[in-house]
Order: sequence, then structure tokens, then C-alpha cells
Amino acid sequence: MSNTENVSGQQELDAAELLSTHVIRAVGVRKTYQLGGEAVHALKGVNLSVERGEYVSIMGPSGSGKSTLFNMIGGLDKPDAGQVFIDEVDIAALDTFELAWLRCHKIGYIFQTFNLIPVASALENVMMPMLFGGMPEADAQDKAASLLEKVGLGHRVFHKPNQLSGGQQQRVAVARALANDPAIILADEPTGNLDLHTGEEIIRMLEALKDDFQVTIITATHDHKMLAASDRVVYLTDGEITDIKSRDELHIQVGTIAGAEQ
Amino acid sequence: MKKQSPQGASASSAAGRRRVQRQRQLSFQKAVQIAWRNIRQRLGRSLLVTIGIILALAFLTYILYSDTITRAALRGGSPALLDSLARRGMTTVNDADARIQTRWMLGLALLVSFVGILNSMLLSVTERFKEIGTMKCLGALDSLIVELFLLESTFQGLVGTVAGILIGVALALSEGARVYGAEMWELLPVGALFRLLGICVLVGVGLTVVAALYPAWRAAKMEPVEAMRSEV
Repeated sequence: MSNTENVSGQQELDAAELLSTHVIRAVGVRKTYQLGGEAVHALKGVNLSVERGEYVSIMGPSGSGKSTLFNMIGGLDKPDAGQVFIDEVDIAALDTFELAWLRCHKIGYIFQTFNLIPVASALENVMMPMLFGGMPEADAQDKAASLLEKVGLGHRVFHKPNQLSGGQQQRVAVARALANDPAIILADEPTGNLDLHTGEEIIRMLEALKDDFQVTIITATHDHKMLAASDRVVYLTDGEITDIKSRDELHIQVGTIAGAEQ
Repeated sequence: MKKQSPQGASASSAAGRRRVQRQRQLSFQKAVQIAWRNIRQRLGRSLLVTIGIILALAFLTYILYSDTITRAALRGGSPALLDSLARRGMTTVNDADARIQTRWMLGLALLVSFVGILNSMLLSVTERFKEIGTMKCLGALDSLIVELFLLESTFQGLVGTVAGILIGVALALSEGARVYGAEMWELLPVGALFRLLGICVLVGVGLTVVAALYPAWRAAKMEPVEAMRSEV
């Protein structure tokens, strides 16, 4: 199906088709914050569908509602109006126990500031979501070790976060995000605290793991250089989706920018 | 890996597979392990809380013990001992004024240490906002966060209480031995002292856990979105 048809007024989308292929669906999502007695419309009716196995980047300046949309997709915030479906489950209908289960099993989070648990080793960090999910300790340990191996940190499993470089910490975070075989990986500015080279490595790794684990990846970013791996880029401005570009269009775009810079 | 292929999921089978379950509670044993690791790795902050408890409990135990020993001596001491005590102005068992004063001091000391523990615990919650938010993103339940903080404070309370009591008892006994000489050991009301020991343990651990309740609740109430905030 076409990727760009979701931009405007698509309420009449084929429901059956959505059910089978869309891992995330936001329908008419609105969110308003009260700031000093004034209403700030962070999201003004956003419609977005993400297909299984897609790599989608959400682009937008700060204040565009990017973070708000991101948090909704991640089940961290609920919309004022409209609905967000994660794996076809309406998150507004979930209680705290179900939300915790959803976060634990369906979503893997990657943060700009890595957010590893400082007192725990790399291995223990990766084990944590599995233990929360009820996996026996021995199994969790084996799986965590093999995940760390996959992200190239097999020799550093017992290191604490403060003994690892930024890039290595983010690799641990990637392994942790994959711990419970999630349907979605949400990466909020995953390269924001990394240098260009390390950032690109992380993006390449995510791209590779996406196929390996058949996981959907959604990142928020404002760095054009980190878009190369994206299947689609969603541009958000002032709480509205202003544009969605597919991979093909994107390459032209990146080329143009690179050309303009020379 | 174990994931179903996206193409293979038909609409009907998808509905069953996607049912959301309820997150289960982490085992108590595992929670204890995590809490213990938190204390071990953050020894500085833990010590701060523990020292507060040690001081309060040493004071409490010392006051209660020396009071009990003094009264035992005045009640059952030999004439020679009472004589020497009288020369130093210690004669009446029920010196009401002094006892009320002591209670005030005890109450104040316990209150100060309570506020100290509360403050330290709140600080350690604030310090760990991002960590707590992250754990919630990874699937931790509110109840686990409360459990972890209460377990941490219970450990600290136990260690602080035991150390404080040891110090308090040692101080009271050595002072008693100095004042009453060898006769003190015969006069020692062992049963009463053991009862006091129980009270001190209860007060020490109770104080810490009660002081940790509010910080633990604050931590559990934290939104997982906090983990996303980029400022460190």
C-alpha cells in the first residue's frame, strides 16, 4: 500500500488491511497542555500509520510536538482526543498493569542519554526487562549475553555504564531494547549525544537489526544525516504532519542538501 | 527470532496474539537483590542515612539504658553504694523533672533523625528520577518501585539500628560501671534491658521505614516520560 496516503483525511482506510500490517496507528490525535493558563496545542489532530518492519523517522524542530507524538506512540502519554493503537490495542483502554506489560514486551526504548542503570553491569541492564517480564534468571542471562554479542559488546558484559564509551553505552541500550523481542523500537534522538561517526554506526546497526529481529523502528531526530536508514520520514511542524517522504524521495532530498552544501 | 513473520499474520489470528496481558509482580527475592545492589553501589548516600539512624539509636539506647541502670542501682544498691551516690547528689528514684526533660530530648533527637532520613531519601529519589522512569519504561510496576525503596530503607534501618544500639549499650554500660563500680553487674535488670532492646529495634526500623514511605510513593508516582527528558 502507498505510504503517503496517510497524510490527510484517511478515516476511510481499509480496517482489515490496517489490522494486519499496521503496528502503530494514530487517529486524529490531539494533545493540549496548559502552560501558565494558556493552552498550548502540542498535537492538532495527527494521523499516522506505521507498518510492521518499517523504519520511520519523525523530524521536527523542538516545540513541533515531536516529543509528544513520540510519547503517545510509546504508550507513555495518552491523547486528549483521538486514538493511538499499538499493535492494534487502543492504549487509552489499558490499565497500569497492562500498560507496564505493553512497555515491557511490545516496545523497546532507546534514549538520547542512554539511560542505563548506573549501578548495574551491561549484562544486568540487558537482563532487566526480561526479569520484569518474568523470564527465569538463567535464561535471561544467556539471552542478554547473546544480545550483547550481537551489538559487538560480547567482551564487555561485566562493565558498568561508566566504564563504557557513549557509543558502547548506546549499544547496550540497543541490546536492552531488543531484550523481550519487541514489536517496536522507539529511539528518541538516539544519536543526539554521540559524535557523527559513532551516531552513524548506531543507525547502521539499528537498520541491520531491524531485518534480523523483524522489528519496527521509530526514531525522533532533527539531524538530516541520520535519516539515511529511514524507509519514511515524517515531518512535523506546529503539531501537524506537514510532509511524509518515502526512501526514494529522501535520497534525492539528501543529495540536494549535500549538493547545496558543497 | 521468535517473532512471527509480519506477512503471515492474518487479521483473525492477529487479534488473539495481540491480546495485552497484565504485567506480573517481580519476585520478592529478585527485588531484594536489586535493592541490595542499589545500596552497595551507592554506599555514600546509604551511609548518610545509616549514620543518622546510628546517632539517633545510640542516643535512644544510651538514655533508656542508663536510666534503667540508675534506677536499678538506687532501688537495690548496697548502703555503701547509695551513700556514695548521695554524696554526689543522686538520691531520688523519681526525679520527675529530669525524666520529662529526658523524654523531650529523646523525642527531639528522634524527630531530627526522622527528618534527616526523610530528606536523604527524598534526595535519593530525585537523583534517580531518570533511572526510575527508565525502569518503568522497561516494564517495572509502581509497586516494585515502592518495594525497592522500602527494602533499601529497611536494610539501612536494620544496619543503623544494630550499630546504634551497640554503641548506646556500650556507652551506658561503661558509664554505669564507672559510676557504680563492679556492683552494677549484679544489679543489672537483665529482663528489662532485653525488653528495651526490642523497643529500640522497633523504633529504629520503624522510624526508617515510615520516613521512606513518602519518598517511595513519590518515586512510584513518577511518570515514565521523565526518562525521556534529555537534561541530565
